[in-house]
Amino acid sequence: MATTVVVVDDHPSFRGFARRLLQAAGFSVVDEAEDGASALAAVQEHRPDVVLLDVLLPDTTGFELADRFAEGPHGPVVVLTSSRSATDFGGSLARSSARGFIAKSDLTGAAFAALVGDPA
Amino acid sequence: MRAVRLVLLAAGAALCWVMVDGATRLNAVTGFALLSPLEAWFHYAVALLGISVGLFVWDRRPDSRAGVLMTAGSFAYVLGELNVVFPLSALAVTAGLATMEIGSAIFGHLVLSYPSGRLTSRLERGFVLTAYAFTIVYSIPFLLFDDPRAPHDPDVWECPFCAVPYTHVGWHNLSGTRHTLDEVMFVLVVLFLVLLVRKLVRAAPGARRVVLPLAAVTFLLGTRFAVQVGLFLHGSSTNFWTSPAMFWSETIGVLALSLVLSAGLLWGGAGRGAVADLVVELERTPPGSVRDALARTLGDPSLELALWLPERASYVDREGRPFELPASGAGRAVTVLGAAEAPVAALVHDPVLLERRALLAAAGAAARLALENERLQAELRAQLAELRASRVRIVAAGDEERRRLERDLHDGAQQRLLGLGLALQLARAQLGQEANGAAEILSEADAELRAALDELRELAHGIHPAVLTEQGLGAALETLAERSPVPVTLVEMPEERLPATAEAAAYFLVSEALANVVKYARASRVRVSVLRLHGRVLVEVEDDGVGGADPSRGSGLRGLSDRVQALDGRLELESPAGCGTRVHAEIPCG
Repeated sequence: MATTVVVVDDHPSFRGFARRLLQAAGFSVVDEAEDGASALAAVQEHRPDVVLLDVLLPDTTGFELADRFAEGPHGPVVVLTSSRSATDFGGSLARSSARGFIAKSDLTGAAFAALVGDPA
Repeated sequence: MRAVRLVLLAAGAALCWVMVDGATRLNAVTGFALLSPLEAWFHYAVALLGISVGLFVWDRRPDSRAGVLMTAGSFAYVLGELNVVFPLSALAVTAGLATMEIGSAIFGHLVLSYPSGRLTSRLERGFVLTAYAFTIVYSIPFLLFDDPRAPHDPDVWECPFCAVPYTHVGWHNLSGTRHTLDEVMFVLVVLFLVLLVRKLVRAAPGARRVVLPLAAVTFLLGTRFAVQVGLFLHGSSTNFWTSPAMFWSETIGVLALSLVLSAGLLWGGAGRGAVADLVVELERTPPGSVRDALARTLGDPSLELALWLPERASYVDREGRPFELPASGAGRAVTVLGAAEAPVAALVHDPVLLERRALLAAAGAAARLALENERLQAELRAQLAELRASRVRIVAAGDEERRRLERDLHDGAQQRLLGLGLALQLARAQLGQEANGAAEILSEADAELRAALDELRELAHGIHPAVLTEQGLGAALETLAERSPVPVTLVEMPEERLPATAEAAAYFLVSEALANVVKYARASRVRVSVLRLHGRVLVEVEDDGVGGADPSRGSGLRGLSDRVQALDGRLELESPAGCGTRVHAEIPCG
């Protein structure tokens, strides 16, 4: 069974490309969400292995959402992403409960797999 | 009206003369010495003083009814003794008996309504009406049944013609009625004392100061009177109503009222003298202290001054801030200085000053030039405040614009380029190993795209860093420190978010200072601290470089200095050659 992923980003074009990119790399993208509320619902519903999470969302930040996911016993692995660079977020990234950060411009199947492990 | 007062004064003098003359003759004829000639002189001199003071107050304070009441009370008090001094004249006896207690009611009315002469509460009005009615009722049995011959030997002097025929009932048979009337009088006097205390307790501080002397004197006299009536009713004293003590009480009462009223008038007179002092004082008063001078002159420490700005058609205080005049009836009174359609200023003051409109007008007129001056200054201050506010608004609008630009870049071009990059990757994956040439082109396109994305990101960051908007000054400065090629120590950071304009100003200040350190200072480390203290943000950037920075060099720091000053802050640069550079800024943050 392939590693399941939920993609959370408020830009539909990014979600579309990320889905195809991750699927091409062998991951199974089970759902997409455009904000914090629908992301919580999607994770509740699908219990994915990984969440690819945009840092800046309309209703919350990826940092807060990652902490919410980490509260549960079997929370998903969180990979943060953003169109901004890691240094734009100062110490927040280091303090975050997410597994890691990939700038959107650096997002590849290989970079993703390097953080969360191979898809199968 | 002045002629009326002069006639009344002459009449009062004549009446008092007649009374002194009558009392002296009565002594000579009857040997009955109720008052010695000297005492009679003193007694009626005091009465004439009361009449004169009343007329004088009436003349000087036409707004107030106090003068009229004092005049009327003093007259009534003399007339009420006609029956005692001229027991042989039926007309005098009738007039005396009819008016014998009205004087007390009028004086009570005067005290309860002082200083305006107008009763303000329904309770007081009701009481005064009752007191007047009672004085008439009180006189009726006397008018009908009293025989002036009764206490004395009827053989010595006779009443030749009585206005009201005496009945055969005889006064002594009516002692029960008289006792009841005296009891009612006792109750009324006690009630009067209670109302007097109530008036004092309820008065505004300014009014209390004015009323207190009169109220205190009246209270003492009233209490003494109540005790005397009480003792009389109890049977502990006899022949009270015609005793010398009664005459002395009245004499002292009228004398005290006259003195206190005169003092009140002198207080007004002193006020006019104070206007002269005010004119002199305003000559050398520093700008902005006209209010204090007016407050001293008018004797009202609570005085507030509102200046009229014609072009705004509204009042401001002397700092140029909007000033709302209190609604009427809010325990404060407003006096507008200058013409109603073109006021200069308005005084908000203790309502008791309304009793002294003439003084208010005089002081207002005296202060007019100084007030014009003050108004111009307030106008200037208001404009300056407006200018300051508009500078802050311009800076804030600039910040907002930068934030919007950054947001647009992020949401628009950046996202499309990111999508493009992902599309290129997908295409490359799809191509696989088949077309080497195409894959190479795609790799090059990808590299170009990355470079474009990096540049775009830098541009957006420079316009307005998103981290500042979203996470505040501390996080944004951490980012700056991480990006800096020269090691940066952040010593102190505010935990909480600051107002956006202050955060932006502090951030760009540190950013520019760090850029300068990198460019010119040849420093090995930089120390940055941001401290919130007493409504100001203190920003300090200190390096250990070569120093000698010239504040006029480059537009960067000068622009920052303008930005800081626009927010009413200040920027200092210390850069002695060889000793590093220290940039220090203070930015207000509410």
